[in-house]
Amino acid sequence: MASMNTVLFISFLLFSVGVAGVLIRRNALVILMCVELMLNAANLNLIAFARHAGTVAGQAFALLVMGLAAAEVAIGLALVVALYRKRDTIQVDNINLLKG
Amino acid sequence: MIMEPAAVSTPLHSSVLWLIPFLPVFGALFNGLTGRRLKNNKLVDLVALGSVFASFLIVAFYFVKLMGMAPENRVVTQTVWTWLSFGDAQVLGGLTRTTMTWAYRIDPLSACMGLLVTGVGFLIHLFSTGYMADERKRGEYYRFMTYLNLFVFSMLNLVLGANMIMMFLGWEGVGLCSYLLIGFYFDREYAAVAGKKAFVTNRIGDFGFLIGFYLLFMIFGSVDFDTQMGLVRGVLAQKELTLFGLSHSPTWWFNLVGCCLFLGACGKSAQIPLYVWLPDAMAGPTPVSALIHAATMVTSGLYMIARMNFIYVNAPVALAVVLFVGALTALVAASMGLAQYDIKKVLAYSTVSQLGFMFMGMGAGAFTAGMFHVFTHAFFKAALFLGSGSVILACHHEQDMRNMGGLRKFMPWTFASMGIATLAIAGIFPFSGFFSKDEILWKVFEGWYAHGTFAGPRLNMIAWAMGMIAAFMTAFYMVRLMVMTFFGEYRGAGHDPHGLTVPSEAHHASPDDGHDAHGHDAHAHGHDDHGHGGHAGPQEVPWNMWFPVALLALLALVGGFLNIPHSLHWIGSSHFSEWLKPLLFQAHGAHEAHGAAPAIEYVLMFVATVVWAPAAMGLAWWFYGADPTWSKPRAFVKRFPELFEWVHAKYYVDEFYEAAFIGPCKQLGAQLWAFDAWAVDGMVNGAARLTLTVSHAFHWFDAKIVDGLVNLVAWILSQVSGGFRKLQTGRVQNYAFVMFLGFLAIALWKFLA
Repeated sequence: MASMNTVLFISFLLFSVGVAGVLIRRNALVILMCVELMLNAANLNLIAFARHAGTVAGQAFALLVMGLAAAEVAIGLALVVALYRKRDTIQVDNINLLKG
Repeated sequence: MIMEPAAVSTPLHSSVLWLIPFLPVFGALFNGLTGRRLKNNKLVDLVALGSVFASFLIVAFYFVKLMGMAPENRVVTQTVWTWLSFGDAQVLGGLTRTTMTWAYRIDPLSACMGLLVTGVGFLIHLFSTGYMADERKRGEYYRFMTYLNLFVFSMLNLVLGANMIMMFLGWEGVGLCSYLLIGFYFDREYAAVAGKKAFVTNRIGDFGFLIGFYLLFMIFGSVDFDTQMGLVRGVLAQKELTLFGLSHSPTWWFNLVGCCLFLGACGKSAQIPLYVWLPDAMAGPTPVSALIHAATMVTSGLYMIARMNFIYVNAPVALAVVLFVGALTALVAASMGLAQYDIKKVLAYSTVSQLGFMFMGMGAGAFTAGMFHVFTHAFFKAALFLGSGSVILACHHEQDMRNMGGLRKFMPWTFASMGIATLAIAGIFPFSGFFSKDEILWKVFEGWYAHGTFAGPRLNMIAWAMGMIAAFMTAFYMVRLMVMTFFGEYRGAGHDPHGLTVPSEAHHASPDDGHDAHGHDAHAHGHDDHGHGGHAGPQEVPWNMWFPVALLALLALVGGFLNIPHSLHWIGSSHFSEWLKPLLFQAHGAHEAHGAAPAIEYVLMFVATVVWAPAAMGLAWWFYGADPTWSKPRAFVKRFPELFEWVHAKYYVDEFYEAAFIGPCKQLGAQLWAFDAWAVDGMVNGAARLTLTVSHAFHWFDAKIVDGLVNLVAWILSQVSGGFRKLQTGRVQNYAFVMFLGFLAIALWKFLA
């Protein structure tokens, strides 16, 4: 049984990788994947804290987050595909329509 | 109305009355508008001559018609349209309904004038077809014929107009046409200057005419001749007339009106103060000289005075002015004619002088005699002018008589015609000039003698003496002209046995003769065009030139019999006087007073025609003809060089006018111009500049301060928003990074807390 600190540390690493990926990577698909990483880090935390507290609320939230993440990916991927069709690229540097 | 029958018959005939003046104007319009494009001058001829001849026929028709009427009913009028209506005008405290109509009337006087204008005018048109041969080739011909037709129209409007407005229209019209015709060679300065001179001089006269005309309108409240004449007795019955706050007797006002109108007549008919334009007008083509300066325009002053006889009969002072100015003009102009070498200038001064005679007749109250001289003069002077035109053309546009001579053999028709005309103008029995001129002199004399004593009007006596001297001079210079031109040997083209010729440009040196001198070389390029074969010597001119001259000479020969003086009634009666009588105001005018015995008239006529004129002619012959070397005149000139030079230079009147009036006027004009240019324009420009400066300042303030403030606000906003804009990269990653930093900061802050 891994200690709480270990889990939190791994969760921290996962989240950091996710944040770094979202901030650094230019490929929209990779960014989406990194978002998944961050969500997973959060899930890991939720499950760890639930186990620690002896309740199932955390697990329930983790399941909810997974469902939401699946939905989010479906929508996110659809957006990316639509974007690709429109602009012929998924490099976020080239997608700057909102620039003032 | 009592005049019912006349009123019924009038419309039928009056339907063509308006055609008399309008036919020539149609001709002028046609030629003026299409003449430039017409290839063929024949059509121009046809229209120009045809319209005038048709007018002549219509006048003749009306003349015959008038002859068939009772003497007091001899008038046909036609109102073409009403020009303007004043409604109820306030005149002399009473209401008068005044209309001004475009109306024509033909009565004994205007019928005669109409015959003269169209008849002589037609002959001059015919002459022009030959004389203007150069212009035919150059395409200027249609313009000449247009002007001639327009001139005839104006003159007909003047003589046929039924009121003063119509007369004034024609009056101005002939002034304009004389300007156009005299300045026909407008590309040559002397002609342009002469045209301008005629125009301006006439304007001075018109000023007087207009004042007289306004006064007449104020006195009578009408411009219509018939109405005015009908009101004369009523006006004379008033004690005094008040105009402009001045109260004077009617006679005083009539004197004023008469003098003002006479000033206008002076301009048109070239009387003493305003005669200077006529000699210069010889710059125009010779047919123009004949038309304007012998037959038509210059007679308009006479016509006007005859028409206004109801004023003059009642204006003794004005009559005296007319008489004296006429006599003075006759004398002075005749003396100027003595010393001219230019054939046309001699005739020009002769015209001025003869017009003086006519005014003498008018001034003596013998309106019929004056008008009669108008007619006879028109015949013989037109013949002389046209004859001189033929001579000039035959001599290759030479106008100096010293370079002519001997033309009698070359040009028999012209010589005979001009000879008859010369005898007529000199007043030899039975040529027409005898009847008219001697009647004038007799009437003037009678005006003095008729008072029964020798204390009659002294002025008449003086005028008569001046007239006799002028008549003597007339006979002299006319014979001089004939002798120099037609007798002796031909002196032109290198034949010069006595060394008498002068180079054509000889009198270029003298400033006053400069104008006509140019006339010689003006046509110089046309020399070879005449088909004279170089310098083979003069030849008779074609028929369309000598025929009108001959016809006019014939009229000059027989015209006198139209009006035989009372004392010569065994020859015939005075048709002309009787004919005009209904138009004359029947007062106890001077011409009505028959106080003198016919015996005196016989004596005077005998003296004038058998002694006086022949003596002058003989003197001239002895001077110039008997001795072809002209030693006598040359000796005379050598003896009195100053006198001759003085007369030859026309007493320096032009120079006097130049110094006394024109110069100061020019100076005044220059000063006014300077004032205008410096002061008025300066003020205007200064105001403009000030406005400009002020507006520049406002513009600067507006652009820099007001706009600056507005733009500053916009600039600040744009700068600020530019800063913010930079934040909006449009990249989600940037936003996420910022968000991340925020989280990091909050976390750090929480952690440290």
